[in-house]
Amino acid sequence: MAQNNFWSPYIAGAGLGLTLLATFYLAGWGLGASSAFSLLTSVGMKEIHPDFTQRLTYFAQYLNVEAPLRNWVLFEVCGLFLGALAAALFSGNFKLRLDRDPGMSAGRRLFAAVSGGVMIGFASRLARGCTSGVALSGGAQLAIGGWIFVIAMFVSGFIAAALLRRIWN
Amino acid sequence: MELTGPLVVSQDMGLFVAVVLGFFFGLFLERGGLGDPHKLTGVFYLTDFVVPKVMFTAILVASTGFYLLSDLKLLDVNRVWIIPTFFWPQIAGGALFGIGFVVSGYCPGTSVAGLASGRLDALVTMIGIGIGSLMFALIYPTLEDFYQSSPMGVATIPRITGLSHWIVLAVLAIMAGVMFFLMEWFERRTR
Repeated sequence: MAQNNFWSPYIAGAGLGLTLLATFYLAGWGLGASSAFSLLTSVGMKEIHPDFTQRLTYFAQYLNVEAPLRNWVLFEVCGLFLGALAAALFSGNFKLRLDRDPGMSAGRRLFAAVSGGVMIGFASRLARGCTSGVALSGGAQLAIGGWIFVIAMFVSGFIAAALLRRIWN
Repeated sequence: MELTGPLVVSQDMGLFVAVVLGFFFGLFLERGGLGDPHKLTGVFYLTDFVVPKVMFTAILVASTGFYLLSDLKLLDVNRVWIIPTFFWPQIAGGALFGIGFVVSGYCPGTSVAGLASGRLDALVTMIGIGIGSLMFALIYPTLEDFYQSSPMGVATIPRITGLSHWIVLAVLAIMAGVMFFLMEWFERRTR
């Protein structure tokens, strides 16, 4: 059951580090992910409820630009999807599934996925980024913000895992 | 041709570069096993340390390169956007993020890698991330004071401590090395 054709984490990590370094050098900022979700949400909300969305001051940063969807992080995340898709297809890792612990019902898994996602989405906005933008990119810049985010995330993750042991493993 | 980075490119070129860099980002995430929620959450249950191994290797490689290019005058760090520090919002955000990570099994970037390897639970997490972003935007007026609190500006460890970045990097490398050694030892022992 365990597919062990993954690369050594140190090789994958070095590749990721070089990609991040190339991003600093070429673009002048780091890699991101969560802001693409926030951007797409703001654009989607504007389609459904333009007046209401106009009053959400936080979303103005995404919407008050000439072409909201011509966004660097959004394009980068599209590339991320393609790169991961290519890697999964070529390594035979692609499989349509609902990935969950054997002891977990499908309904419970979906509830965990969406509620965990809500927490991540909210937390990423509060911290001004996620594991990509703040932890990886900020960590590599030796920014205080990156390192305090990493420490807080691991401490709280360990506590949450001890309390919620039945979700995984 | 100007070789000192960051290379200023046109917007179209910038978006093309974004797709290419993102492609490698996703490739290394998936190949490292970071599209798999079992592996992603393993660290929190002390069963699989792939997340800290990939993450701290990537940070050390990128950081060494970043400060090396800067010292060689090949990268003008004053023109690089450094992650700003807002102490308490980032502590609180990191803490909430850790819980969401354990509960969903993903973070934003890895949820995209999870979906790209066929995981529908990753798609559901992505929808959740969108909902969470919307909730933040909805209560932003009441949260704004906290969100803008404890600003430290462009605060880096070398700048705050006054230490050379090479000292900081050496300490981090030693700490990561010890951590990697202990993780390998622990994994071998429990396997």
